[in-house]
Amino acid sequence: MRDALRRPWLTGLLVVSVALGVAVVVAIDMANESASRAFALSTEAVVGKATHQIRGGPNGLDETVYRDLRVIDGYRASAPVVEGYGIAVELGRQTVHVIGVDPFAEAPFRTYFNSTTSAPLDALTGFFTQPGAVLMSADSAARFGVKVGDALTLDVGSQRRQAVVVGFLQSPNEVSGRALEGLWLTDIATAQEFFAMAGRLSRIDLIATASAAEAIAARLPPNLTLAPASEQSNTVAQITAAFQLNLTAFSLLALLVGTFLIYNTVTFSVVQRRQVFGIMRSLGVTGAQIFGLVLMESALLGALGAALGLGLGVLLGRTTVQLVTQTINDLYFNVTVNSIDVTWLTVIKGIALGIGAALLAAVAPAAEATTAPAVATLQRSSLEERVRQLVPRLALAGVLLVAGGAALIAFIQTSVVASFAGLFIGLIGVVLWVPAITVGLMRLAAVGLGRAGLTGRMAARTVTGALSRTAVAIAALMVAVSVTIGVTVMIASFRTTVGHWLDQTLLADIYISPPQATANRSVTMEPALAERIRAVPGVAEVEVYRNVVVDAPALGAVRVSAVTVAHARDAGLYRYAAGTPGETWQAVEGGAVVVTEPFANHHHLPPSGGAVTLLTDQGPHTFPVAAISYDYSSDQGIVLMSLNVYRRYWNDPEISSVAAFVSAGANREMVEDAVRAALAGSVVVVRGNKALRDAALVVFDRTFAITAALRWVAVIVAFIGVVSATMALQLERTRELGVLSAAGMTLAQLWRLTLLETGLMGATAGLLSMPTGLALAAVLIYVINLRSFGWTIFFAPAPEVYLEALALSVAAALLAAVYPMRRLMHASRETTAALRSE
Amino acid sequence: MSQPQTLIRIAHVSKRYQEGDRERVVLADVEAAFGAGEHIAIVGRSGSGKSTLLNLLAGLDLPSAGEIWIGGDCISRFSDRARTLFRRDHIGFIFQFFNLISTLTVRENVVLTAELSGWKPPAARAQTDRLLDAVGLLDRAQTFPDKLSGGEQQRVAIARALCADPPLILADEPTGNLDADTGAQVMGLLTALARERGKTLIVVTHSSEVSALADRIFRLDHGRLLEVAHRHPA
Repeated sequence: MRDALRRPWLTGLLVVSVALGVAVVVAIDMANESASRAFALSTEAVVGKATHQIRGGPNGLDETVYRDLRVIDGYRASAPVVEGYGIAVELGRQTVHVIGVDPFAEAPFRTYFNSTTSAPLDALTGFFTQPGAVLMSADSAARFGVKVGDALTLDVGSQRRQAVVVGFLQSPNEVSGRALEGLWLTDIATAQEFFAMAGRLSRIDLIATASAAEAIAARLPPNLTLAPASEQSNTVAQITAAFQLNLTAFSLLALLVGTFLIYNTVTFSVVQRRQVFGIMRSLGVTGAQIFGLVLMESALLGALGAALGLGLGVLLGRTTVQLVTQTINDLYFNVTVNSIDVTWLTVIKGIALGIGAALLAAVAPAAEATTAPAVATLQRSSLEERVRQLVPRLALAGVLLVAGGAALIAFIQTSVVASFAGLFIGLIGVVLWVPAITVGLMRLAAVGLGRAGLTGRMAARTVTGALSRTAVAIAALMVAVSVTIGVTVMIASFRTTVGHWLDQTLLADIYISPPQATANRSVTMEPALAERIRAVPGVAEVEVYRNVVVDAPALGAVRVSAVTVAHARDAGLYRYAAGTPGETWQAVEGGAVVVTEPFANHHHLPPSGGAVTLLTDQGPHTFPVAAISYDYSSDQGIVLMSLNVYRRYWNDPEISSVAAFVSAGANREMVEDAVRAALAGSVVVVRGNKALRDAALVVFDRTFAITAALRWVAVIVAFIGVVSATMALQLERTRELGVLSAAGMTLAQLWRLTLLETGLMGATAGLLSMPTGLALAAVLIYVINLRSFGWTIFFAPAPEVYLEALALSVAAALLAAVYPMRRLMHASRETTAALRSE
Repeated sequence: MSQPQTLIRIAHVSKRYQEGDRERVVLADVEAAFGAGEHIAIVGRSGSGKSTLLNLLAGLDLPSAGEIWIGGDCISRFSDRARTLFRRDHIGFIFQFFNLISTLTVRENVVLTAELSGWKPPAARAQTDRLLDAVGLLDRAQTFPDKLSGGEQQRVAIARALCADPPLILADEPTGNLDADTGAQVMGLLTALARERGKTLIVVTHSSEVSALADRIFRLDHGRLLEVAHRHPA
């Protein structure tokens, strides 16, 4: 450690690089954990001790089912639930999950009305007697300054409801307190009123043994299902798994780049101490002891970095939790996270990754240290000679790793983890090509620059001559910049694809829908509003949409979008279709469905001849698949059908949204205002085509905010890597620079030489990062995204990215030369002294 | 026999270093003059300030007091850049540890000083090859320094010091890292080449064999430079 303290800058950079890598991993882990845990807690609060649930179609099930179950079948361990989502206007338009229960049936299921998570008795009186009575969490109430008796507005779909707070749900501890966040409790009748579900229930909760459940299921009408209660939370976990895995993988990339830096720093420290190690060997210290010493040093610094990283990660976590929660709310389901979980697992993972990366990076230099011959010191040139001899072997190993990574991606097609592993292995393979490619490029550079004089030749030769240093720095920068290119091209391609898809999909001029409470949930607006819109002067046609979630016997919950189509869609919207868009729609009107690409991919539907079985109000029905369409609104996929067909199978007259086409010659803005006026009093959002398109892209950009931020973290870590490598290189060359100075090279020339060297390193990294970044983008687009989310993304080359990458690499490398050169300027005496000492 | 024209004049030069709260005087009011083409040996105990004096003569360091004149120029008044440019054209340096640039070939190491002095490439290349031939290493011109023995590396360093044709060669313990036989060969070569080309050669050394080759021998003792031997030309 004394040696580490003697070089505080290099040691500091090592610690910072570990800390940054660990911080990113910890922050992402915390965000994922916090969101998952918040969701698990709220699911637990809602599901309670229920073992099974009886569910119906989009409109729930008739409450007579419950009555029959309890009265005729005498099954008492059952409780009715009416639930839905609404926007609490006075609570910052927060989405709230409203659960209507029967307090007399609740006791075995949930603890809202017992002594631990209790509502006080006087609150219960109001609960039964006051219309619109709700109980909400005491913590939420305190945060928003809500008092008992306060009236709150709840927007449900296009309808506005009034609720009255009659009491608070007290929780005995923080954990159960969090479970109650964003939850309103009301009685069945009030919930039925809120969600226009008179005489209907969302589900019936049961506590039943497997055999009892089987017996109950056998007696249920065909339009109802009985499923284990855990199924719902499992499905939710699966839905976000790919998203969270992608974030974790990107966070690990930052650590990978950091590992190069650690390798570089430890190597530098070992090479500088070869003489010391040689003397130690001659005094009887074994190679294994030296190996252990180097590893121990590295582990200690890794632990220090990990500890700092944990602290930084917790700070970063506050931002990432918000970003991740926002994305989950945008894309998947509603989750309220008001506190951050720092679990022991996250802490252990962070420390283990920090120390692990430090140890892994130190193995090779530690092994190198054990080869120090007793007393004699190995000349630097001999070390470089050995590295040069290793170059072909490294390149060959690189070929094997790239082939191995490609094979992993190609042959294990179902696993996203395997795809990421393949990507990482392939990337490490490319890293092993760096020394060989650097040697080749520097030969070319020496020829080109040599014409400009000896300095040019010298610069190119220095890069090759100190390959053990320069190749690692180039590799670190190359990985970081190629990740930047890969992720930028992927995001740009995705954005272009989504923009193009929106152009093809958003054909109408005006879109009307209730404010979206949360993704993946049905929203409802009054059907009469469609007629009011149709009657507005200037509206030529309307399309009506009904978006619901239905059960599918083999697939679980499936999003169904039922539409009336006024305008035929572009053929480009279909990935596979048997006929023209007109013919496809004819088939859909005849009872077939169109499934989106993610749906087809997740459920392995063939390009043609597939079918989907859904649980309709008349029992299970199999719909033939007429086409597979591109869609980027849901990574779980959607089944699209005609509204007429939907209403034939489901007793659901509600609608979710309306699209209006403006007559030729009419002023779109004026018609939009007229629609708004016609719908006054209803809680709906009226948006023009462009506004909706922009809003969609805002959600898109928000989704990729973390990914975009992570690539910059990788660049920062790589920048630190290049600074440290350049510093190491220049510090080692102090004597050489002294010789050049003694021979008459001016400081300006020394600056030029150093900048040329680091510039060449940056340019090499930049050039290498272009094909690597492109390959990375291709894997992200064609493999990872497709397997994670099921989307086909069309490659958009984004040419400006490559120039930016080259500029970024060179700029990083040039900037990295500034500190060592400044040091050199202020150390002319050291330079002179260095000439005399070996 | 006429006295050689004075090339170097050291006028009341002192050099002091601060060591903690103490001041250490390395050179105290040193006075000397060396003629053009003269060969000078400076001897003294380790730490007596020999190399400090050499660094001052090379303009790598500045005196705490006094002046150093080379030709008609007072280099101790020059800026760092002016000293570097002066060194480029007027001084060749030979180090104990050879200090060849490991990333350059033998030929490139030698041509470096000529190119820095602004020689045209063909002339620089011809000069380099002449000198490599003179030191017996023309056939190793494309070799990298780490493939050469110590003696060979020092012969390359001699060629490098002479390549830009400077009037003054400074050598800091040029045989200190070589065995006796190789040291004698290298020193013989350096002396011969310097005399042949009329160069002033100042050698800092511990070796009596090396100092015996000089025209005059100076001893540095307690910061004072004293002439201890004067060899009259035969």
